[in-house]
Amino acid sequence: MLQLQTYLLLLLTGIMWGGVYLLMASGLNLIYGVMKVVNLAHGDFIVVAGLLAVSLYGAFRAGPALAIPVATLLFLLVGGLIYRGLLARVETTAPQGELRTLLITFGLSSIISNIALLIWGGQYQSVPFFQSAVHLGALFFPESLLVSSLLAFALAFAVQLWLTRTRSGRLVRATAQSELGAASCGLNTGRIRLLTFALGAAMAGAAGALTVVLIPVQAASGGFMTVQAFTLIALGGLGNYLGALLAAILLGVIEVSSSYFLGASAASAVIYVIFILVLIVRPQGLLGQRGRI
Amino acid sequence: MALFQRPRAPRPPIGHTLIASLLLIALALSACASSTSGGGASSTSAPIRIGFSITETGPDAAPAKFDLQGYQLGADTINAQGGLLGRKVQLVYYDDQGSASTAVQLYQRLITSDKVDLLVGPYQTDLTSAIAPLVTRYKMAMPAMAANLEPFSGRYPYLVQSITQTPRYMIPVIDLAATKGYKTLALLIQDTAFPLELAQGIKQEAAARGIRVVFEATYPADTNDFTALVLKAGAAKPDMIIGATYLADAEGIIRAARASNVNAKLFAFSIGPVEPEFGSALANAANGILGTTLWFPTLKTAGNAEFVQNFRAHFGRDPDYHAAMAYATMQALAAAVRMAGSLDQTKIRDAYLKLDLQTVAGEFKLNNLGQQLGYQAYVLQWQNGKQELVWPPAVATSPVQLPHPNW
Repeated sequence: MLQLQTYLLLLLTGIMWGGVYLLMASGLNLIYGVMKVVNLAHGDFIVVAGLLAVSLYGAFRAGPALAIPVATLLFLLVGGLIYRGLLARVETTAPQGELRTLLITFGLSSIISNIALLIWGGQYQSVPFFQSAVHLGALFFPESLLVSSLLAFALAFAVQLWLTRTRSGRLVRATAQSELGAASCGLNTGRIRLLTFALGAAMAGAAGALTVVLIPVQAASGGFMTVQAFTLIALGGLGNYLGALLAAILLGVIEVSSSYFLGASAASAVIYVIFILVLIVRPQGLLGQRGRI
Repeated sequence: MALFQRPRAPRPPIGHTLIASLLLIALALSACASSTSGGGASSTSAPIRIGFSITETGPDAAPAKFDLQGYQLGADTINAQGGLLGRKVQLVYYDDQGSASTAVQLYQRLITSDKVDLLVGPYQTDLTSAIAPLVTRYKMAMPAMAANLEPFSGRYPYLVQSITQTPRYMIPVIDLAATKGYKTLALLIQDTAFPLELAQGIKQEAAARGIRVVFEATYPADTNDFTALVLKAGAAKPDMIIGATYLADAEGIIRAARASNVNAKLFAFSIGPVEPEFGSALANAANGILGTTLWFPTLKTAGNAEFVQNFRAHFGRDPDYHAAMAYATMQALAAAVRMAGSLDQTKIRDAYLKLDLQTVAGEFKLNNLGQQLGYQAYVLQWQNGKQELVWPPAVATSPVQLPHPNW
């Protein structure tokens, strides 16, 4: 009985961590799905939003309830400016286009993380919110994990609804499927790309402001977060929303359960072994084209 | 926002001014990051020049800055006492950005082109290990604040250790536990050099004091979720959960233990609780947690109160243990040079090995391999949102509060 309880706890904790990873990857996924741009500064957006939440806590004892809207709006603006100022000015569609956007976002990542280092220093920071445990029957869950994963799944659901059920969402999907086709039907694809990049950045901002209660960040953490998020969306099928959801849950459950049964050092290897296996068997990702934005 | 619009003619490519200006900013930033340096030589007063590299920029800059200020205050104090061998001392230093390969280049430069008279070590064991062969090749005596024993195992006879050695970091925690009659221990170890060596020291001391290690596990440095680890540690029902950790993982373990209701009579971590951020990140959950420190402002070590006061006056902030260790390194350097009576590096190295000196960091005393035997570690505990020194009892600022209550 006790064993069963532990297994259930591991499974649910894994699903919740999946939610957190999904939250941290959503913005990257949206931007790639629509624009075919891998935003290498994505992790740095998350880190800066997290450090901003730390400063808001330090100044006003304000929690995620304030930090999330502030970071979301700020990164909506920052994302828009980056698109207008940088990405809109280079040819991004040609084969060399992807390379150019990689270089631009890589440089951006370096600039952002170094500015963050100047402002916040190099120490790991976190905020003490949602620190207690939530009891579900005999099971205990960290409140921060529960809140983060609930928000993550809600956000994933909302984005899915927006993409499939609203007019603007359908226009975004049209652009994702064929930019040329969308443009020739009279869509303002430039604006759609602007909106997508700003939204993707805002999602990174929201993710950072919330997950800092769970994962301490420092100015240089961004690169690793980008890699983690990219692994997840590549596993799910780049730009695929349902795939990312599936991959997130899979990764979370595998991480938590393999670190219980095999030890924490083995767990990180298991994840990448599975990643490589999936890429060999299904190079298009778990769901590939099906369910793509 | 109108997404459905008549397409406009594509904008002509504007000159890439924005990209260019961003690149300029990036260049300026990287220039700032690489070119800070100390003063050059002034030949008129012919001061004794002490060279080193320090991490002034990059993620590790914050603690390294304390090291630098400790060195600076130490040099000022030497000069205020009339200098060394009748000459003033002067620091010559460069920013190594926390990179081992940069540190090697900088020490090469300090030795061969700046021709400094004396060397002291950089911040961090990794950097010390990287420059050790170079320093040994040029036979330069160098005290280094590298806690791991690897650089002091006989291969680099000119290096001496001027910080508490890693295996001793948590000995007083085990001593405290033995006094309280705690018998079993779960040990969580980050899979990197310092925590691994530290864990060996903990296990040895625990065995000597009759404490059983009932659970032991390592985890990678980038672990986010500690739930599984903490559940397994808790399942062994240990009296104590001890982590050989840094800051982020110590926080992660406490969060997971609290959320999963895993309890123990004592929680202690090597690095983590000693950082002020531990308290700000965990708030109430930090209270009752034990940590290790190598120095504390209230210690009655020789000249400690004066050091704290001077440090505040010089730099407008309180020193931390890094600053104290660096200051004590300068004290040891001065004593060794005075004992040697010259700048002959072999004589200075021999003087370091013979030294038995009371510094702000405690007794500086080495074995013949240059390993530090004198410096100790102390146990601090978060109490009501503040760090208090709790063990050994002779130096405690507040009585230790144990056992840790259930979450």
